[in-house]
Amino acid sequence: MNSIHVKHKWEPYLWLLPSLLLIAIFVVFPILIVFKLSFSEITPGGVIGGFIGFQNFVEAVHLPPFKTVMLNTFWWVLSVVGLSTLLGFIIAMVMNQKFRGRKIARAILVFPWATSLVIQASIWNYIIKYEYGSLNSVLLNLGVINQAINWRTSYPIEFIWECGVGIFVTVPFVAFCVLSGLQSIDGSLYEAATMDGAGFWSKLWNITLPMVRPSLTVSTVLNIIYVFNSFPIVYTMTKGAPAHKTDTMITYLYMLSFYERKKGPATALSVIGFLILCLCAGIYMVTVMRKEETQ
Amino acid sequence: MKKLLAFLLALVMIFALAACGQTEEKPAEAPAEENAPEAAGDEIVLDVIICQYGPNTNEWFLGSGMNGTNFVAKFEAENPGIKLNLEVVSWNDVHQVVDTRIANNNPPDILNIDTFSEFVPDGLLMPVKDYCPEDLYNDFFPAFIAESVIDDTVWAVPDLASARALFYNVDLLKEAGVEVPTTWAELEDACQALLDYYGGEVYPWGIDMTTDEGQACFAYYAWGNGGGFVDAGGNWALNTPENIEAVEFAVGLVQKGYTNPNPATETRYDLQDMFAAGKLAMLLTTNQLPTYVADKGGNINMATAAIPANEGKTGSSVGVMDRIMVFKDDAAPDQAKRNEAIGKFLKFFYDPENYVGWVSMEGFLPAVNSAVEALVASDPSFGAWLDVLGSCQFYPAAKAEWATVRQGVTTVEQNALIGGDVKEGLDALQAEVAG
Amino acid sequence: MRDPELKRVNRRFLLLLILGIALALILMSLPLYSFNAAVYVKKSPNTFVGDEKYLAAMEEVESVAAGYRDQGFDVEISEEALERVNSKGEKTSLITFTIQESFSKNLFSFLGCGLASSRVLTLILILLGLALACALLGTLVSMDLPQRSLPRRTALLRSLASAALLLALLLVPVFVLTNNYTFSRQISLYNKDLLTEGKDLLFAKLDRFLFQGGMGSGIDNALSQMQMQTSPLIWVLMPALFLSLLAAVQLRRGSIKSALLRGLLYFFVVVVCLITLFPYYVMTITAFRSNAETLDMYFLHLFPTEWLWKNLTSIIQRGVPRYLLNSLLVAGGATCVAMLCGIPAAYAMARMDFKGKKAFLGFVIMSQMFSPVVLLIGISQLMNTLRLNDSVVGLMLINAAFNQAFAIWLLRGTFVSISPEMEQAALIDGCNTTGALTKVLIPMAAPGIVTALIFVFINAWNEYTISTVLISTDINRPITVGITQFSSFNMIEWQYLFAASLLATIPVVILFMSIEKHLTSGLTSGGVKG
Repeated sequence: MNSIHVKHKWEPYLWLLPSLLLIAIFVVFPILIVFKLSFSEITPGGVIGGFIGFQNFVEAVHLPPFKTVMLNTFWWVLSVVGLSTLLGFIIAMVMNQKFRGRKIARAILVFPWATSLVIQASIWNYIIKYEYGSLNSVLLNLGVINQAINWRTSYPIEFIWECGVGIFVTVPFVAFCVLSGLQSIDGSLYEAATMDGAGFWSKLWNITLPMVRPSLTVSTVLNIIYVFNSFPIVYTMTKGAPAHKTDTMITYLYMLSFYERKKGPATALSVIGFLILCLCAGIYMVTVMRKEETQ
Repeated sequence: MKKLLAFLLALVMIFALAACGQTEEKPAEAPAEENAPEAAGDEIVLDVIICQYGPNTNEWFLGSGMNGTNFVAKFEAENPGIKLNLEVVSWNDVHQVVDTRIANNNPPDILNIDTFSEFVPDGLLMPVKDYCPEDLYNDFFPAFIAESVIDDTVWAVPDLASARALFYNVDLLKEAGVEVPTTWAELEDACQALLDYYGGEVYPWGIDMTTDEGQACFAYYAWGNGGGFVDAGGNWALNTPENIEAVEFAVGLVQKGYTNPNPATETRYDLQDMFAAGKLAMLLTTNQLPTYVADKGGNINMATAAIPANEGKTGSSVGVMDRIMVFKDDAAPDQAKRNEAIGKFLKFFYDPENYVGWVSMEGFLPAVNSAVEALVASDPSFGAWLDVLGSCQFYPAAKAEWATVRQGVTTVEQNALIGGDVKEGLDALQAEVAG
Repeated sequence: MRDPELKRVNRRFLLLLILGIALALILMSLPLYSFNAAVYVKKSPNTFVGDEKYLAAMEEVESVAAGYRDQGFDVEISEEALERVNSKGEKTSLITFTIQESFSKNLFSFLGCGLASSRVLTLILILLGLALACALLGTLVSMDLPQRSLPRRTALLRSLASAALLLALLLVPVFVLTNNYTFSRQISLYNKDLLTEGKDLLFAKLDRFLFQGGMGSGIDNALSQMQMQTSPLIWVLMPALFLSLLAAVQLRRGSIKSALLRGLLYFFVVVVCLITLFPYYVMTITAFRSNAETLDMYFLHLFPTEWLWKNLTSIIQRGVPRYLLNSLLVAGGATCVAMLCGIPAAYAMARMDFKGKKAFLGFVIMSQMFSPVVLLIGISQLMNTLRLNDSVVGLMLINAAFNQAFAIWLLRGTFVSISPEMEQAALIDGCNTTGALTKVLIPMAAPGIVTALIFVFINAWNEYTISTVLISTDINRPITVGITQFSSFNMIEWQYLFAASLLATIPVVILFMSIEKHLTSGLTSGGVKG
């Protein structure tokens, strides 16, 4: 048994109290305000009016770009979380090998994580510019290309770039999570498997994956939430242009709220996003909890 | 390990303590108005939000950019009993900041921003007459004041303005044997000639349809085709054939390869940089371009001309104006005194001694008569621009749906860039705002 | 003849080696580079067909061409007319007269010309020769000996051969890139007068190489319109050399596979590191550039021509140290508060049984699900009520609250993975629960705590949205908000923006690097138990 005995039934709650208070006051209260706002009338000037039922939600769902934006959000979360998990996993596997300069390599890997997203987004925006972007500059000066290349000719490509930057900033987090899982694997397990004649893939499938799965799930769930709510990359690089084709939900509702001044639907949209995330996280929680109980 | 942990925790503690200490001394430093105790007595505190126009804005208001001192310090020294709680906010964040404060019933006293109409229906603003001294009011260009009128009441005063015109690179045009275009047809000829002559080396024409500037693009072409945002009666008229033709013409320029390659994401800065580097031959932009190019170390032989219009139509210069407005504060103990303080602020701001420095610092154009003389004396080119400014049309920012229209036309343009139908988009927008 | 099998293997690889080198040599003598030099170009801008300007231009071109023919060049005049009908119905044309000469060069002709690429090529050839010699010597001496019992000198020769081949292989792309650089970029930059240094020397070399010294002062003109084409055959060189390399590796040691895998590993690591560092390279060089150089349309310089340290001093004068201090206060304070609240909660979650445990976990995760952008109105209202707006303390608390979820989750995992026996023993000894936590568990869970600490610190350090709205006084701004003053309505000052960003990144990176070791071990204990 992993637990210790407590004298009073209320004692655990006392331990939770500070954290509970902190979250309740500073996070839950604003969340409640958002819920209230989503059912209220908000004027373009920003003044909050009375209760209007589900009107904001109806309006939000009927906005012309709603479908595009939802689809973009889906691809954004799927590609960023999916690919960074895959890449992070591979990088972690490599970084787990013993080689010269491993310490330095790991330290370098940490960089993107330690830089604010706004800065990362502007620097990448600067890099892939056609006219005086640094990518063209480096390639030209190395003689790899003869002429500057337009790296962002159409909006699907811009969106791919945005996803790429998203992946770039997310990979280190995944890599370090997986790395921690890998380091906890007992080397003798591999030795035994090698004795049994298991190849690389079979060891990967039967030993590595099951052992790092818990850390992968932690990083994946947090990433889904963070990436879904990620704002600066898309906003800095395209502001959703052209015509919301590169907007994700969070940047779209920002534009809706502060550029088009339709604050009611914007708030409703954020509640919709919250519900979607709750659904995903709920499913996850149920499965993980069940697994933990069976262990 | 333990030592490291202890060290880190200690460090964190020190920060926390330092932070607490800092906030304890803070109220004395700069008390926010609503936080200040009522007993503050005679002192009036004005919350002011100013937008970040250029590299010098922050320094001028808060640092040492005003001959070694700054606006706030100088104002407070000259007007004892009034304190300024002045905040310089970047354009990217200013709507977010202002809207949040309005939603919490805590708007600033004085706000400098581009739009004002959305605040009027909610009764948030004070009429200008209530606080603006008579002599100052008469000093504003009447045409500018007229742009801030809703229901016969003036709700905001102009802060500064800029005029937009066609800038062209004299050398590039001359070398290719191209005349400055005055009509759309000539514009296409000129673009084609430049394209033929320089190949891909030079972009003939700059177009900015980004999310922040799409409305300007709409104005350049729609006004040049006898169209516009509103009809003669001042009602929204977005889906007129003239406007549709104008947007299609602009998008056509892009599709024919006459322009910079990514108009939906290449911002004004990018275009101005290209122009400063001699990569762009012609560009519609603000009168600040020469200052910008000089700051960037560019050396371009440039000249200006009127914005080309369609054959048989008279074009119009495009003016952009920002405003200063005052929010109501019902909680203020003494309204008359507050109004007086605001009046003093405006007097001080528009005093040529201060205002000329402010306007010329970023190369803007003034909004008051009294500043003209000094400005023209400092830079003769201002005179020509002031003439342009006199004939400018402005955005219909006084109409309540302006924010929607502004985003709407941008979306229509961007949609057209990727093959969308212009008429359909403008029809839908018209139905939304006029219906 | 002790082992015929061995001899055959050795022979086969020797053959492969020689074959590869021979193939490379043959390829080099093929005309791989073709040049099309327009030795003279005249554009008549926008004239009407048949008018004087056109005729004058044609006459001029004819006389120039005659001059070239006198010098013995085999030139052709081509005339390209681009006709347009303008909007007024007038026909205009843009006529381009070009006097052209086309020729091809093989790689050996590069050898004597003295260009940078010719030196690379010489080096490749020397290395190839060296490799061949070493391999021949090494193999012939010990054809019948098994790998393990090779004499030391032979082993050395073989290593030398493989090293030389490897270098030669790596130099092939270098050669192609240098050529590319010289012929398409350097010349065009010289012709635009963007570079001046060393121009005469380079042009003299090119004149000798391309026109056997016949172009003289006309070389500028000839080069300005020159087009170079590289035959794709050059990339056959690579596999040929690669083949030789394989053979050499095989000569040296038994397993190609392990050598390749090792190489691949390093390659992967280097690529990942380069990509990761690229933005930081850009950030650094831009931070030290002058305003004019950020506008360098022709990408002249990889590095600033002059490192402007005054960029740093200007941003320091514009308030950046103050912003950094604020950020430090906010992030430090937030970390402190988050830990003080998070550790007890995680302790309870890990060690105690009570009702509502799952509900609490769900509650904590739920608190993460709104983006701060959405919560602004609520947060601002709350802060007004608490009189905490425009204060560093307010930001601190907000950041602490927003990071509770991650802190609790991580710490709980860490605590769960540590066996409770020690604490139970301490409790029996009369210690209370608080004592058990502070004296026993916390020291043991230090790595996990450090990890959580650093996560919270970084998140708080990078927070932007809430600060923009909450902080209204300039001196209270954290660095993320402070740097927005460098991108204003009129101008984005890239060099200042990035200099400030660099200053904002460095402290975090240093902190992170000093703690990286603990980070991984902390996640180990934390992450695994989910």
